[in-house]
Amino acid sequence: MSNQTSTNKRENLQGNHACALAAVAAGCRFYAGYPITPSSEIAERMSLELPKVDGVFVQMEDEIASMGAILGASMGGAKVMTATSGPGFSLKQENIGYGVMTEVPCVVVNVMRGGPSTGMPTRPAQGDIMQARWGTHGDHPIIVLTPASVNEIYQQTIRAFNLAERLSTPVVVLYDETIGHLVETVDVAGAQEIELHERKWAAGEADDYLPYQPDDDMVPPMTRPGDGYRTHTTGLTHGEDGFPTQDPDTANRVLSRLYGKLEHNKDIVECFEAMDTEDADILIVAYGITSHAARSAVHDARDKGIKVGLFRPITMWPFPEQALLAAASKARHIVVAEMNAGQLVLEIERLAGRDRVQGLNRYDGEHITPADILSTIEGIA
Amino acid sequence: MSDEIEIRLSGSGGQGLQLSAKILSRAFTDEGKNVAQSQSYEPTSRGGMSRSDLVIGSDIPDYPLASAVDYMLILDQIAIKGAAEVMRPGGTVITDVKLTPEPPRGDFKVLALPITETAIKLGNVRIANVIALGVLAGLGELCSRESLESAVGSMTPPKFRDLNMKALRTGYDMAAARL
Repeated sequence: MSNQTSTNKRENLQGNHACALAAVAAGCRFYAGYPITPSSEIAERMSLELPKVDGVFVQMEDEIASMGAILGASMGGAKVMTATSGPGFSLKQENIGYGVMTEVPCVVVNVMRGGPSTGMPTRPAQGDIMQARWGTHGDHPIIVLTPASVNEIYQQTIRAFNLAERLSTPVVVLYDETIGHLVETVDVAGAQEIELHERKWAAGEADDYLPYQPDDDMVPPMTRPGDGYRTHTTGLTHGEDGFPTQDPDTANRVLSRLYGKLEHNKDIVECFEAMDTEDADILIVAYGITSHAARSAVHDARDKGIKVGLFRPITMWPFPEQALLAAASKARHIVVAEMNAGQLVLEIERLAGRDRVQGLNRYDGEHITPADILSTIEGIA
Repeated sequence: MSDEIEIRLSGSGGQGLQLSAKILSRAFTDEGKNVAQSQSYEPTSRGGMSRSDLVIGSDIPDYPLASAVDYMLILDQIAIKGAAEVMRPGGTVITDVKLTPEPPRGDFKVLALPITETAIKLGNVRIANVIALGVLAGLGELCSRESLESAVGSMTPPKFRDLNMKALRTGYDMAAARL
């Protein structure tokens, strides 16, 4: 995405507002939600923006119903989004799993606050990394994007819609309270070039249509109610015809395809930033607001002659494994800095080996600072 | 990097500090600067610590949160916690003389001014935040007076525009008297 300087117009925009504006720009026309700190500004802004484009905003009775409403609206043909924070994200999990299983495109935003339970509503945390991956039951793939700035929330929210529509799946946009409430000077959204993708609609003979018959990209086309195609939707394990089955071959084929469609489309799913990693003796892995502290610490450490790099997953799940291993190829030490008791560090240990990986953790509602990371680097170097 | 300025506006919830931060951000942005404005507050609509931090520079900062504050406003004792620790040596702290009876101490200047008292004299305690903006901008020569006047004019309710402009002028006058 590039900025067009000719239409350059700068304004101070909040992260949550950037999310809402990006959703509308991506074509979102249905939002259902139950406001919760620190994500409420998304709902508030959507309630103002959607009527301008003939969209629908519904303040639902609760979090569960909000998730159900966006799945229904998506099945009806709309691009949809809901937003919440940890407590609501917990409640939405059952329906997120339903969305994965029935392959319904939707975007779910989780602005992370201190937890567990209702925790600390106005304090930042990064404690939902593993919940975003494994919050709903059963084996399932999921796409989770973790932007780190106001501008990136805008870009990644649009990318979330594109991935949801192209791969027929729920996509989670996950960021911490600090990024959500951060106001930054950005080039106004409208000045950015946006590439939009739409879902595939069934186009062949109605008699031949099978709702879960995939194309070569492993994604089945969808139908709108009233288009004349016969379809059936269930959370039960289903064959290509959409009807329940417990046939082992079918069950194996269905779940393998759900995983396979993300793997097959890895090139468009994965996204990361590697900074100063080529010769890095020490690699910092960080995301969200913590990645800013890491970036600052890397610059300071480089000034002192320490070979440090930063790896920042922008797509958190599926984790960009090969990219991490490439960034860590020369690293004797890997420090995973995150505002939780140690979540992503488990994945990095799995990939890079426990001996060279250590966590830098904080979960008291305060930030990991550049000084915290720099002193850890200096302690190792 | 080198031209970065960090400002913290702090006090208690309901004093209008988040709005002040937005106004000040607008003034800087209108002058071509990049601003990162963060906030911290308690889950109550009135009372409780409330603060907003601005990191301002020509470039987008590596770290958008305050770590070495050049100018700090403290309008309530409740915001004192951690204040001294985050100050840059040689920086300036402006406190409300009445509501901050125990100002922070350290290697920085502290100016205790009758900000809320002046607001009450002008007719409304709720304009203390704009008086404070005038004091801050006047002392620090942070942005042009025109930019700040324009931001106050466009971001405060029309009904209270004259009062807010008067508050801003008063703040500048208070700063001038202390320079």
